[in-house]
Amino acid sequence: MTRRIWLASYPKSGNTWLRMLLANLAAKDDQPVGINDLSATSNIASARGPFDDLLLIDSGLLTHDEADCLRPRLYEELARGAEDDEQDPRKTPPAVRFVKVHDAYTLTPMGEPLLAGARGADGAIVIVRDPRDVAPSLASHRNTGIDDAIAFMNDRDAVFSANTTKQDSQLRQKLPGWSGHITSWLDQADIPINLVRYEDLQIDTAAVLHRALEFAGQAATDHELRRAVRFADFARLKQQEEEKGFREAPRQLGARFFRRGEAGGWRDELTPDQAARIVSAHGAVMRRLGYDVTLAPLAAPSGAAGERDCAATG
Amino acid sequence: MHFYSIAGLTVGSEIALPGLGAAAPAHDTPDVTIRGGAVPTAFANATASGPTWQIAGQQFLLRIPRVARFLLTAGNEIAFEAEPGADAGDIPTFILGTAFGILLHQREQIVLHASAVRVNGKAVLFCGPSGAGKSTLAAAFSRHGYRLITDDFCAITVTAAGTPMVHPDGRQLKLWAQAIEKLDLEESRGKRVRSKLEKFYVDPGETHVEALPLGAVYALREARPPLVPGIERPNVADAAVLLRRNAYRPRLVARLDQKVLYFHAAATIAKNAGIFHLTRKLDFAAMPDVVSLLERHWLEIGLMEKAA
Repeated sequence: MTRRIWLASYPKSGNTWLRMLLANLAAKDDQPVGINDLSATSNIASARGPFDDLLLIDSGLLTHDEADCLRPRLYEELARGAEDDEQDPRKTPPAVRFVKVHDAYTLTPMGEPLLAGARGADGAIVIVRDPRDVAPSLASHRNTGIDDAIAFMNDRDAVFSANTTKQDSQLRQKLPGWSGHITSWLDQADIPINLVRYEDLQIDTAAVLHRALEFAGQAATDHELRRAVRFADFARLKQQEEEKGFREAPRQLGARFFRRGEAGGWRDELTPDQAARIVSAHGAVMRRLGYDVTLAPLAAPSGAAGERDCAATG
Repeated sequence: MHFYSIAGLTVGSEIALPGLGAAAPAHDTPDVTIRGGAVPTAFANATASGPTWQIAGQQFLLRIPRVARFLLTAGNEIAFEAEPGADAGDIPTFILGTAFGILLHQREQIVLHASAVRVNGKAVLFCGPSGAGKSTLAAAFSRHGYRLITDDFCAITVTAAGTPMVHPDGRQLKLWAQAIEKLDLEESRGKRVRSKLEKFYVDPGETHVEALPLGAVYALREARPPLVPGIERPNVADAAVLLRRNAYRPRLVARLDQKVLYFHAAATIAKNAGIFHLTRKLDFAAMPDVVSLLERHWLEIGLMEKAA
């Protein structure tokens, strides 16, 4: 039976980098896995297609809350192996299936875990990143200014794909503030978790990846680990996007998914006031994760960066 | 009794089905009967099942929580029973929006998740999952004077001479508020599809009600890297998979042992009409380009003659 492991994170926290690392463990012909090959074969938990296909109900006729009530049934069905029903029977299902998810760990209006608790997955690798680095990345991703991104991260009612006048390609995802999101995953007691800090993944990628794989129950040789680290190196991912584009990049013209990928990049991107606002809202969870809340920006961001943010907000 | 024509079938229904075009004449023995009645919560002898559905021989049970349970029998009857707390107005929406499509699968018909418009006497289909832009594209073409054939699903039969024929679903368009605004269709906006949704029936003007030969099938894709806008013709093997993936409910094709049926249909359609990928930006601003791209393609494949 294939084990199912959520790759759970707040947006812009390294989820896709980890997916690329995992995909490159099985790189064929000593060639890096293409960034667009990755997304063609792995769905995010909130994808609409599997919902309609497995429940047979048109999700476009349901309200967001109604769809939420049915989502646990979807993940139970997927955990039962529904993805493999359609496959060539000669193919062996993978030992572990990793599934990206940005939803917070919440309960449906019926009071059951949206992601079906232990019936939906065997565990979760929870990827976290210093919220001061998340903010500028999220601003770039959502095509807003940094202040808007900070407000979004502080909003307990924040959501993705929650339009009511058009149909989003994904089901609604609740992102109840950066702290609310992280604690929803860390404090749930339904499934075991393996906590990965983006910053640690950068310092010793192979070791952190190895521990995550041990948690998931997937074997990997040293050679496979080293090769995956080399193939999914941030600069190489960024280069692939520059050459061929990335299907998961934001839709606005010229937008890039892979931006800086640095730990501590915020120190030359945030104003002291912006950094202070993040620490004020999220200090408790930051401390819990071991982030140094006493750090300050290196210097005021350059005028150009400030102007760009104003332009993007306007 | 209310009578309709849906997907080439005569339908007699105890309840009115809003969103359908004109009512059809009364019929003593309609192909499909829709009625209220007791519907079980589960089958004791299910041969296949999913989270919201079960199959037992010729019977298919679908449960939509807090709306209704539907019992589909042998492709000719839909019985429904409201769930506690249901809004009675929702039941026709799910009969047409979900149950009827499954009934067509049960009848061993080729049924695609597609909208369709009439082009020079033939049916051109736009296929894709929910949210792919089928209705929006059909609406854009109806603004350009092409008659709407179908909004959500397309039943296809093959004549003795081997011609694939498309049967209109007899329905009005269903569009989200934003699409209605962007396509300037406010005047044609009808009732809400459900009281809880900003999705409305839209009168498509004149519709086509007779069966038409199939002209072309386009599977809709969004132009995101590495895909670029354009039209491509997949090879026959890929076209067969593409057709099955664009069945109204692909999962049922496998569960009802109809893969071979779809494979043969794909070969016939590929030969007589053509199965294509249509890749375009999901952006209203790109719609005029998409319309002209398709019109050029219809000239190229001989579906349309050079306009005067």
